[in-house]
Amino acid sequence: MISAQNPPASPDTGAERMPPGAVGASVPQLDGDEKLTGQAQFIADLYRPGMLHGAILQSPHAHARIRGYNLRAALALPGVRGIVTGDDLDARHRMGAFIKDEPALAKGKVRYSGEIVAAVAADSESIARQAARLIEVDYDVLPAALDPAKALEPGAPLVHDDAASYVSVFDSGTQGNVCSRTSLVEGDAASAWAQCDVIVQDTYQTQAQAHLSIEPCGALAEIDASGRVTLWSANQSVFRVQANVCESLGLSMTRLRCLTPRIGAGFGNKMEAHVQPAVVLLALKTRKPVKLILSREEDFETVRARHPVTIRMKTGARRDGTLVARETELLLDGGAYGDDSPGVLGYALLMNCGPYNIPHVSAHGRVAYTHKMRFGAFRGFGVPQVTFASEQQIDAIARQLDIDPMAMRRLNIKRDGDRWFGGQGIFSNGLADCLDVVERESGWKAARAARLQPAGDPAPEFRRGMGLAVSAHISGLLATGAIVRMLEDGTVLLSTGAVDIGQGSNTALTQICAQALQVPVDRVAIASPDTDGSPYNWGTTASRITYMTGRSVVAAAAEVEKQLRKHAGAMLECAEDDLELRAGGNIGIKGVPGGGVSFAQISGYAHWAAGGPIIGSNSWVFDQKTVDPKRAVALGLPFGKIGIFSFSAQVIEVEVDTLTGKVRVPRAWTACDIGRAINPTLAIGQVEGALVQGMGFALTEEMVWDGARLANPSLMDYKIPTFAEMPDEQHTFLVESDEPTGPFGAKSVGEIGINTVAAAIGNGIVDAIGTRLHKLPFTSERVLAAMMPQEQA
Amino acid sequence: MSLSKHALTLSVNGSPTEVRAGLHDTLLTVLRDQLQCTAAKRGCNQGVCGACTILVDDRPARACLSLAVNSEGADIRTLEGLNDQPDMRLLQQAFAKAGAFQCGFCTPGMLVSAQALLRGKPAPDAQDVRKALSGNLCRCTGYTRIVSAVLDAAAMIRKEPVAP
Amino acid sequence: MLQGFYRPRTVAEAATLLAGDPDAKPIAGGATLVAMLNARVIEPAALVSLAAIDEIKGISVMADGRLRIGAFTRHSETAECTLPMGASAVVRHAASEIANATVRNMGTIGGSIAFADPALDYPPALVAAGAEIEIASTQGTRHVAAAEFFLDWYVTALEPGELVTAVLLPAPPDASGRGVYIKHARVAGDYATASVAACLHADGTLRVAVGACGPVPITDDTANALLSGDRSDATIRRAGELLVQHADPLDDVRGSADFRRQLIPRLLLRAVRSVEVPAGGRS
Repeated sequence: MISAQNPPASPDTGAERMPPGAVGASVPQLDGDEKLTGQAQFIADLYRPGMLHGAILQSPHAHARIRGYNLRAALALPGVRGIVTGDDLDARHRMGAFIKDEPALAKGKVRYSGEIVAAVAADSESIARQAARLIEVDYDVLPAALDPAKALEPGAPLVHDDAASYVSVFDSGTQGNVCSRTSLVEGDAASAWAQCDVIVQDTYQTQAQAHLSIEPCGALAEIDASGRVTLWSANQSVFRVQANVCESLGLSMTRLRCLTPRIGAGFGNKMEAHVQPAVVLLALKTRKPVKLILSREEDFETVRARHPVTIRMKTGARRDGTLVARETELLLDGGAYGDDSPGVLGYALLMNCGPYNIPHVSAHGRVAYTHKMRFGAFRGFGVPQVTFASEQQIDAIARQLDIDPMAMRRLNIKRDGDRWFGGQGIFSNGLADCLDVVERESGWKAARAARLQPAGDPAPEFRRGMGLAVSAHISGLLATGAIVRMLEDGTVLLSTGAVDIGQGSNTALTQICAQALQVPVDRVAIASPDTDGSPYNWGTTASRITYMTGRSVVAAAAEVEKQLRKHAGAMLECAEDDLELRAGGNIGIKGVPGGGVSFAQISGYAHWAAGGPIIGSNSWVFDQKTVDPKRAVALGLPFGKIGIFSFSAQVIEVEVDTLTGKVRVPRAWTACDIGRAINPTLAIGQVEGALVQGMGFALTEEMVWDGARLANPSLMDYKIPTFAEMPDEQHTFLVESDEPTGPFGAKSVGEIGINTVAAAIGNGIVDAIGTRLHKLPFTSERVLAAMMPQEQA
Repeated sequence: MSLSKHALTLSVNGSPTEVRAGLHDTLLTVLRDQLQCTAAKRGCNQGVCGACTILVDDRPARACLSLAVNSEGADIRTLEGLNDQPDMRLLQQAFAKAGAFQCGFCTPGMLVSAQALLRGKPAPDAQDVRKALSGNLCRCTGYTRIVSAVLDAAAMIRKEPVAP
Repeated sequence: MLQGFYRPRTVAEAATLLAGDPDAKPIAGGATLVAMLNARVIEPAALVSLAAIDEIKGISVMADGRLRIGAFTRHSETAECTLPMGASAVVRHAASEIANATVRNMGTIGGSIAFADPALDYPPALVAAGAEIEIASTQGTRHVAAAEFFLDWYVTALEPGELVTAVLLPAPPDASGRGVYIKHARVAGDYATASVAACLHADGTLRVAVGACGPVPITDDTANALLSGDRSDATIRRAGELLVQHADPLDDVRGSADFRRQLIPRLLLRAVRSVEVPAGGRS
């Protein structure tokens, strides 16, 4: 097990043989120097000769028909070079990750306040913005559906005139204002309630959370002489950018090359399109490079955010704490366009039980279209919301039965041989160890005993409590590839198409490649994602890069090793079976120390004598079926194959200021089973960052609508945790259960750390003040209101 | 509103530098767009996120809240001009070792603020660091590693002489 | 010099410029003004920078013992002031709670109070401390009590062409007076959701003012009189009720109006208990 307090500097087993910086070593991020000296080039830092600057015009209305545009005044402004609107689009061209419902920019209609209605390219950003303000749009304002439940009532204003006619990649059941509907059922929950000695049933409400990457969204498009477009953008997938731009503009994919600068984080915000289609349109219109960077306010209002979810949940257990049945109904506010919503719904349902054996589960949900900004991928992808409900219900049952919440988890968690809800196999499971670690490190037993025998001041001004929550998260889905090339001098070039958004995938994948070929990390270079040169990679999302692309890298490296051996056999005139790969880039004869041939020699041989350049490649799609039809019934599940579960357990100590209701987090302990830590410092960094982002979700962050308009689209009004709010002590532990299918045993770590935070804090608040809150965030106002009835008593 | 620009001379990283600025142009705009000093970032343009933090007359300041036209005569330093200072290099090393950055977007502003803290208070404790840096937002790291990196750097700097 | 930009060296020069151009805006630290400019909330055609006017900088003790904080004194300087302030230390405490260290290097007390955002930290502290605002114009200098300076949402007693030149704090009768500023906010650096400034004088009199709960800081003579007597929980509660009656808070993202009304007596309790304690209060 690895703890943050003393991460290992070098890998454990076989350490003597391994070159430094390979798997298990906390290699500092490879792009560290440029980031630390301020030389890293993010999208806003890029310049192209003759570049114009872009600005958007946003819709002031939540729902309106566009009758026409008057661009005269805007075009007349000196320095304006081009303007694009929906009139530049073909209505047939639409994009969408699951449902093709979204145009490049508003066409015919605006569907949310803030939607991009036009874009201007000009000699400077201030001229472009000024020109945008001069564009007149003739709107026919229509009634808007702003509340998801009301949007699903008969007679509600339709967000899409004929949603059922849209192309969908799965059986989404899209119609009216139902964007998608999904259900997943195992056993017979309806009749299982009779077996339950205790049942809890509640409705929970989670809020819209803004990603707040410190870097706002932006893009830069350039046309070459043949009319081919090169596009840089803040993105989490050059391939999703390519698909979205080409689908929404009706371009053949050969006409668009997508590249990536350094990315200032994403958390899901940059996974699907933002301004890229509009910027490409501007470049096509003006025939000049165009760069457009959103302001912070525009980023808040235009792009995407975490789904607000209404969760109706019912859980039943036997007197001894064994879970029997679960019923979950989700209503997601999807906003105006589908985006990743169907995926979030499906995944939330798949994960709704948490990592427990519950024999009877009935999980259903819908995504409603509303006239608000689209809601989409955000770290956790529905699991923080559903875990907020589930882990509080488990806790509530434990309290009702007077069982230690720790013991209740242990009684019910998935163990070896158990399958996930739906039927997928679990091949590595360190959850029990995770529970042990956080129980021990947090002093859980002693704290619980102290609370059961209260002593001292019965009404302290600041009350502390501890809350526990557990979770899981997948590691694999969709497609990826890897190409490993040996350069003439025996060094290695790795190309994967995986975008490093700051989490360190470039470094981790380089370590994996280096370890696979047993060379030092500095002999491997990783190429920047480029749709022209990189193998397809669905994207940096869903915590999938280490597992999916890592596996591809291992396989591609194995191909390279095969070719190296073949050539070495010829060069050394011996059978390939007598050869061994040696640390440092060498192939030698087993039992014969020294001698052998170096990678440089072999590569030279291959390039100039026989065989050709050494290239290893791999391409695969995640292949584990999620649902076993003999076990579970799925309707409208948007994915057939996702899986490989990481696990986590978290104890959070909260302190409630009983005078004001303010909640702070003095200490937190988190243990994650991530299979194997390719780079412990980077892995721990993910868990630590996720905790604080989760604290924002739990305590202070809430996007608030004032009618149709977002009321707080600025950092003055939307508050994320600062240094002052971080826990005084944050203890992170990595459990390594060694996933047999994972690259060197690794699973995912990017998202799991955020899933448990709101629930653990909620459980901690109950421990501190005896009251449970069902609505996020736990602002001091809401906590004070929850305490008032007690105070008056 | 007049968009007319005028020549100004600003002292940037020790060099008198000619720029053109209008009445409303901020130092951030001028540094990034005219001088290609892109280390200072635009995260909010409201002075809240801290990604634009630079030094003005030896004190951390928000480039996005400083008017270029009001900055003549001030000593303006960006990370580009601080990179070769020994204490900054030790800070950067400490950040690299601790994993005190991920995406790196907030990092220039963070380093400028941290260097200023350590120059004013060479032996801070964790609370001092948290208070001094509370105006620099980070969404990636959760802050813990940044605090330990700054404390580590402080210890390293105290062992070595620092050029003023 | 760029057209529309002025950098006077004296107060008289600045006053003349402002009198001459009613659209010209004075700019001090710029922390507020430039943020508004960036957001296009204002688009001033002319700016009068106060940065070169030495006579409005710095903190000094006047001949009559009063403390003079020049309008162009940065929050950080006020927050780090080591001069004995007695109960007026509430102003120093408030300065230390503004935004964050970097913004405190930029913003000034004059610029801050001239803007009169009710959620600012200075207004309740200045009212509780009984500060005087010194105002200059081409007609000369005048003084206004802090309680009469803040008139409404973003409205002060400043007439067109006038500028704040200093804040004057009462002379501390002796160093055992203490002041405390209690601020409730969502996160560090946020504007106050509600705040209470408390000044305890050596003779036992206590003056409080509530911030961010209405268009101007709330103060009540009867409440002050009660708090200057026995400071039992019940008395503090009564004083709190009196203050709540004057409150006219907003519903906004920081909190609802009801929540602010609930907070007033609670923050008052915390402020009073804090200022009573020799180690808890500041001097």
